[in-house]
Amino acid sequence: MKKKVIGLMMSVAMLASILAGCGSQPAATTGNTDSGNGTVASSGSAEVTGDPVTLKWAIWDESTTQYWGDLKAAYEAKFPNVTIEMVDLGSTDYMTVLATELSGSGSDFDVVTIKDVPGYATLVQKNVILPLDDYIASDGVDLSKYAGATDQVVVDGKLYELPFRNDFWVIFYNKDIFDAAGVAYPTNDMTWEQYDALARQVTDTTFGSQIYGTHYHTWRSTVQLCAVLDGQHSILDGNYDFMKPYYEMVLNQEKDGVCRKYTDLKTEGLHYSAAFSGGDVAMLNMGSWFIATMMSNLKSGEYDSSLCGNWGIVKYPHAQGVPAGSTLGTITGLAVTSASDTPDAAWDFVKWVSGEEGAAVMASSGNFPAIMTEEVKAAITGLEGFPSDDASREALNVSNLYLEVPYGENVSEINSILDSYHGSIMTGEMSIDDGIAAMNREVSAIN
Amino acid sequence: MKNITETAKNTKIEELQNRLSELIEMAHTEKDAKEKKKLIGQISKCNGELERVKSGKLITRQTKRDLVAYSFIAPNFIGFCVFTLIPIIFAFALAFMNWDGSNPLSFEGLNNFRRLGGDTFFKAALKNTIIYCIGTVPLTMVASLALAIILNQKVFGRGIFRTLAFFPYVASLVAITSVWKLLFHPSKGPINNILYTYFHVSQENLPQWFSGGLCIVSMILFSVWKYMGYYMVIYLAGLQGISGELYEAASLDGAGTWAKFKYITWPQLSSTTFFVVVMLTINCFKIYDIAVMLAGGGSGELTTSATVLVYYIYQKAFIDWDLGYSSAVAMVLFVMVLAVTLIQFKLQADKEA
Repeated sequence: MKKKVIGLMMSVAMLASILAGCGSQPAATTGNTDSGNGTVASSGSAEVTGDPVTLKWAIWDESTTQYWGDLKAAYEAKFPNVTIEMVDLGSTDYMTVLATELSGSGSDFDVVTIKDVPGYATLVQKNVILPLDDYIASDGVDLSKYAGATDQVVVDGKLYELPFRNDFWVIFYNKDIFDAAGVAYPTNDMTWEQYDALARQVTDTTFGSQIYGTHYHTWRSTVQLCAVLDGQHSILDGNYDFMKPYYEMVLNQEKDGVCRKYTDLKTEGLHYSAAFSGGDVAMLNMGSWFIATMMSNLKSGEYDSSLCGNWGIVKYPHAQGVPAGSTLGTITGLAVTSASDTPDAAWDFVKWVSGEEGAAVMASSGNFPAIMTEEVKAAITGLEGFPSDDASREALNVSNLYLEVPYGENVSEINSILDSYHGSIMTGEMSIDDGIAAMNREVSAIN
Repeated sequence: MKNITETAKNTKIEELQNRLSELIEMAHTEKDAKEKKKLIGQISKCNGELERVKSGKLITRQTKRDLVAYSFIAPNFIGFCVFTLIPIIFAFALAFMNWDGSNPLSFEGLNNFRRLGGDTFFKAALKNTIIYCIGTVPLTMVASLALAIILNQKVFGRGIFRTLAFFPYVASLVAITSVWKLLFHPSKGPINNILYTYFHVSQENLPQWFSGGLCIVSMILFSVWKYMGYYMVIYLAGLQGISGELYEAASLDGAGTWAKFKYITWPQLSSTTFFVVVMLTINCFKIYDIAVMLAGGGSGELTTSATVLVYYIYQKAFIDWDLGYSSAVAMVLFVMVLAVTLIQFKLQADKEA
């Protein structure tokens, strides 16, 4: 008798949960179609009538990143009826946390920031963000302003995000170190061989006063992605033999004390900003987001200006036979969630942030908006603390931008595999050939 | 109208009464104990039904009492259902499906399990987890038993040493992994500096404690050091439960220290050892935090030489959003832990019998 009752209770509980699980999903989808239909009828009505709207926006590192607050303030000033509510999910595992937040039907985000392409692919496959093509067409947004960046994240002919920030990789260098060594500064037109030679020239391996010619952060992109700049290869290829020369270059530099060891960096978790601002690193390959960090931290005194205050940037080195100016890019985009109750208002916000007005706000704090115009460049180079030499200003002119990770169906899995074997090669667990062979094997297995 | 129901009721009562006396008769004559029990169960059921019909109420007093009792269990049971039982059942089901957390589920059959065989990362994780368990379980057990035996004697500063041995267990994992990483830093750490300066190990041959094959060794050493204090306390409790008379009698018979350990301490501790081994094994299979903290570096990503099953489950589920496959890996872990535990229970039961 008792057993029966317990059994009954269990089955009731299970049934209830199953029903609840089933019930919520159709409800969510109908909600979407409703609001989708509403799009055409009430486009822009929020602005006209001035209904108060609150948009919940997923971001990271609010306290250390200035532009989130700037964008919110500027948008709320322009549209007083809209309140932007920012939710900080932290930068370390932002995309993982966001994907978890958007799973199921309990999410109430309207606008989400997309940090990287693998995360973008995940959200698209999970159907939690809306395709923006209808909005783009009806509002006449000109995608050519984004210089081809949006083409690399199109999924089955549909675009799910608009970029508002577009970072590209450059070489940061410490002029004091080059002056002390009596070596000429890096230039905007270097091949990888010249870069390697230059790094070796300024290196000093004397114990206690080491100078590292260059520095590679533990990310895969700092080594592997030097290889995709020839325009013929991509990380989605499935064959990674083309990365070999770059692994050889970096591992040889490591062996000769030209750069810090990967295993050391991994053990101590040294951040690239700490390495470069410590004044013993001559060159650093890093994204343009570090420009704003350098400027603001030198201004606030967090970085010692006697160690790294005299810095400059040059264009990324290039492979033999490829013109200078090709570099890696990372876009940061905004997307509208499919669970949003006010997708129209959310789209208006996305459009504004990724448009010219948002770009001006981004540039005012030294960040690179997705729309790069001459005014934006002038605004950034004119900021206090930006290196004053012509080469640094010229370094901002990018001719070819390859996304670090273009969109591909299995991009998230490919990313995990490449990350893992990058670690294996750099720690010396595997030889370069074995590691690359393993990448080829594993990636072709999932494709 | 009322008369009809009244008659129906009466006939029903009569029917039940007949059935009841029939059952009682049967119970009297029945010899088989099991059958008898069944009959008695039926009698009480019949009684309850009879009472219900007579009183005309919907539920009998007995059912009422049962319901009250269940209502006391309910708060705990509902919590258990929602947060443990249903997720576990769901995870079992998920292992046979394909799901990314948002789109509709689709049935995959055994495909998820078939994929396991060809998955290098899964195989590496499985291998590392097993090596880690084989290394950690006996070492921790021996270390904690030795500590317990030493600190059970009246040595000078016993309390301080007990506290010191227990300290790593209390300390925060994040803090002590940082200290370990500092100590074992491949080029700046004191351990490698001693190896370099006093043992003249050349710079290229200095051990890379947190990568390659040594990574698992570091993990094993670390967890033995961290957890031996905890199991020491359990052993101490076990040791204090052994009667001093046994040792006294043994010394009268001229038994030495080793003989005393072999014939008194070890057999007397067998149930403690059983508990320690079961707990250790289960905890070892669950290893995740130590691997990520020691070998993960800034990004927390593990290479094939350091990856473990729980990490791989997490990675597949929440980074690649392949929840079905991830559940299949979790099932493998579950079966492994279950098998090891069942074997241990069996061995213990044989020992006691």
